[in-house]
Amino acid sequence: MSLMPFASSEPLSIGVELELQLLNCNDYDLVSSAPDMLRRIARKTHHGEIKPEMTRSMIEINTSIHHEYVSLVEELNSLRKTVSDAGRFLNIAVAGGGTHPFQHWSEQKIFDAPRFHYLSDLYGYLAKQFTIFGQHVHIGCPGPDEALHLLHMMSRYVPHFIALSASSPFVQGHDTGFASARLNSVFSFPLSGRAPFVLSWEDFERFFSKMTETGVVESMKDFYWDIRPKPEFGTIEVRVCDTPLTIEVAAAIACYIQSIARYIMIDQKDEPREDDYLVYTFNRFQACRFGLEGIFIDPRTHKRRTLREDIAEMLTRIADHAVELQAQEAMSQISKILDTGNGASWLRKTYSHDHNLSDMVQQQSDLWMNGQ
Amino acid sequence: MTLSSYLPIWPLSVSPALWLALALVIAVLVGEGLVRYLRLPRIVGYVGVGLLMGPAGLNLIPELPASEWRLLVDLALGILLFELGSKVNLRWLKANLWIAFTSLLESSATFFAVFALLLWFDVAHVTSAVVASICIATSPAIVVRTVTESRAQGQVTERLLLMTALNCIYAIICHKIAVAFMYDESGTSLIHTVLQPLYLIGGSAILGWLFGNAFNTIHRHLGRHEETFSFLLFGMIAIATIVASTLKLSPMLILLSAGLIVRYRRHRPHTFLPHFGSAGAVLVVLMFTASGLMANLSGIRDSLMMVLLLILVRTAAKLTPVLLLAKFSGISLKQGLALGIALAPMSSLTLLLTLDTAAAFPDFASGMGLILMSCIVILELVSPIMVQMALRGTGETLEGRS
Repeated sequence: MSLMPFASSEPLSIGVELELQLLNCNDYDLVSSAPDMLRRIARKTHHGEIKPEMTRSMIEINTSIHHEYVSLVEELNSLRKTVSDAGRFLNIAVAGGGTHPFQHWSEQKIFDAPRFHYLSDLYGYLAKQFTIFGQHVHIGCPGPDEALHLLHMMSRYVPHFIALSASSPFVQGHDTGFASARLNSVFSFPLSGRAPFVLSWEDFERFFSKMTETGVVESMKDFYWDIRPKPEFGTIEVRVCDTPLTIEVAAAIACYIQSIARYIMIDQKDEPREDDYLVYTFNRFQACRFGLEGIFIDPRTHKRRTLREDIAEMLTRIADHAVELQAQEAMSQISKILDTGNGASWLRKTYSHDHNLSDMVQQQSDLWMNGQ
Repeated sequence: MTLSSYLPIWPLSVSPALWLALALVIAVLVGEGLVRYLRLPRIVGYVGVGLLMGPAGLNLIPELPASEWRLLVDLALGILLFELGSKVNLRWLKANLWIAFTSLLESSATFFAVFALLLWFDVAHVTSAVVASICIATSPAIVVRTVTESRAQGQVTERLLLMTALNCIYAIICHKIAVAFMYDESGTSLIHTVLQPLYLIGGSAILGWLFGNAFNTIHRHLGRHEETFSFLLFGMIAIATIVASTLKLSPMLILLSAGLIVRYRRHRPHTFLPHFGSAGAVLVVLMFTASGLMANLSGIRDSLMMVLLLILVRTAAKLTPVLLLAKFSGISLKQGLALGIALAPMSSLTLLLTLDTAAAFPDFASGMGLILMSCIVILELVSPIMVQMALRGTGETLEGRS
C-alpha cells in the first residue's frame, strides 16, 4: 500500500483533537458510557466532531479548521457544552487530564468497532493501558516538503508542549513523580518516538513503502510518533500533549504551537540536522518527569536551562508572530502557566488537601465541565 | 460421679440455633458454588438453602414465629435501604425529567395493572389496593446486593438504583394510605387521606434529614473506620425503628431518605464499603437465608394461577413504560429492556409490608398475604438471575474480578 498524496491545506491553519475521560458521579472512576454519550449527542447537531476512542470510557472531540485563538476557543466551548449537557442528562461527568488517577486498566472495555478490536488483538493489554487522554494539534502546511521541514524543526519544542500540557501525575492510584506519566504508556508502543530523519516527501514515501513491504505497518495510523505528517489533511500533527484540564489551556497550547510554526516558517533560516535529535530523548524525559522544572539542553548551543526559562524566552521571541496570528490572549495564558504551574501541579495541589483521589477527580471534572 | 454427668445423653438434644448456624454456613458455601460453577448470583443460594432446610422444604429447622426474625430483617433491610439511598443521585432527576416521568409511569402502571387483575379475581377493592401498592416496590435488597456483587456500573445500573429508591418510597406511602382505608372501610374522610401521607412524608423526611446530616457530620470527623461506622449505623437504624414506631412513621422511609440525604448533601465523593462493612454483610446474608426459612408456599399450592399471573402482570407493567420511554430518557431499547426486567425483584421490603398488614388483619394474613408470600419466594429465586442477566447483557458488569 502506498502513501496517499499530501493534500493541500492553508498554511498555519490549526485544528485540535481532545480525548476526554467519562466518569461516574459516585466515586469518579471511569465508566464505559461512550456509546450512551454518543447516542445522546447524535440527537442534536453540533459544531466539530465527537467520536469514539479505543476504550468505552473515552470520547474524542475534534474542532474544525481555525486560524486564531478566539474562534478556536469559541468552538471548543460549544463542544464542551454539548458534551457536558449530554453528561448531565446521563449522570456522567467529563474531565480533562492525561490519565485517570486510579482506574484499573484491566476493567476497561474496548469500543465496539473493527479498528479498535484489531488494535486490541494486536497489542493485547497495551490497548487497554492505552486508556490515556491526549491532545493532538494539527498545523496546516503549504506542501509536503515544508511539512517535513516544519516537523523536524518543531521537534526542538516538543518538551515545551509536554511540560505546558502535563496533567497526568497519578496512575493506578499512585503519584508517579512524573508530570506527564501518560507518555510512558505511549512509549511502550513499538512504533512510538520520533519520525525518521527524512526531509523530502519523495524520501518519506520511499521509507513508508519499505516499511509496508516489511509488513510492519499498513498505514500512517500505525506510527505513534510524537509528531507525524497527516497527508490526507495536509498537516503535521503534534501528539505529545496531555489533554489539559480546561479547553482554554488546550486552545492556548494549540496557538503556542501555531506561533512557533509561523516563527519557524518565516524567521528561522536554519535547516534541521540529524544531530538535533541527540538531546531529544533527554529533553523529552526531563519534560515528562519534571514538567516546567525539567532541564532543557539546547540542541545547537548545548546550553542548559530549565524548560520554564526556555519557554519564557520563546514567548518573547515569537511575540510578533503571536500578534500576527491574533494569539496574544493565548500567549498570556501560556505565561500564566509558567507562573502558576501546569495541570500536574494543579492536580497535586488539589490532592494534597485531603488525599482523596475521587475528590480530586470530581474537582477536575467540575473544572472541565464548568470552565475556568 | 456417673457417666451421664460428663457425657451427653442419647438422643442428643440440640438447640435449633445449631441448625440455623449450619444453614448460614451451608448457604454461604452454596452461594460461592453457584458463583464459581454456574455464574449465578449468590442470593439464589442463600434463599434456596433457607427454603430447603426450613419448614417449607426438608423441615430440618423448626418454624420460628415471624416476630423472631423481625429484628434481623429490620436491621438488614435498614442497612440496604440506607445503602441504596446513599448510591442514588437525586440531582439527576432535575437534569433528566424523563427518568422522573418513567418512574412515575412505571409505578402507577404497576399499581393499576395489579389492582385490575385482583378485581378480576373478585378480590375486595381495599384489599386489592393494598396488594397493588405493595407490588409497586422493587426489592432494594436484591437490587443492591446484585449490583454490589457484579460490580455493575452504567446507565442501566444507575437508573435501576434510582428507580428502585423512588418506587419504594411510592409503595410505602401508597401502602399506608390503602391500609388506612382498610381500617375504616366505610369511608375515611378526605382530610385524613390527605393529611396522613403528608404527615408520613414530612415526618420521615425530617427525621431522614436529621439522621443523614448527623451521619455526614460524624463521618466527616471520624473518617472511614469500618467498625465505628457499623456501630454508628446499627445504632441509627435501631433508633430510627423505635422513633418511627413511637411517632407512627415508617422506619424504612426514614432510612431510605437518610441515605438519599447523605448523598444529596455530600460535596465530595466518598464511597462506603458494601453493606457498610462485614457486620452488615453477615446480616444481609442472614436476612436472605431467613426469608427462605420463613417461606410459606401454601399460596403456590392453593392459587398457583393467581400467583403466576400476579408476577407476570406486575413485571409487564414495569417493563412496558420503561421500554416506551427508553429513547426519550437517553437509553437504547436494549438497555430499556434490561432496565424493565431488572425492576422485577420482590423481597424483604414487600415481606415487611405484607407482615405489617397481616398482623393487623387476620383475613389478609390467610388470604392475599399468602399469595404475596408466594410471589416473594418465587421472585427471590428467579429475579436475582434476571437482574444479573440484564446487567450482563448490557455489558455493565465487571466479571472475573468479583
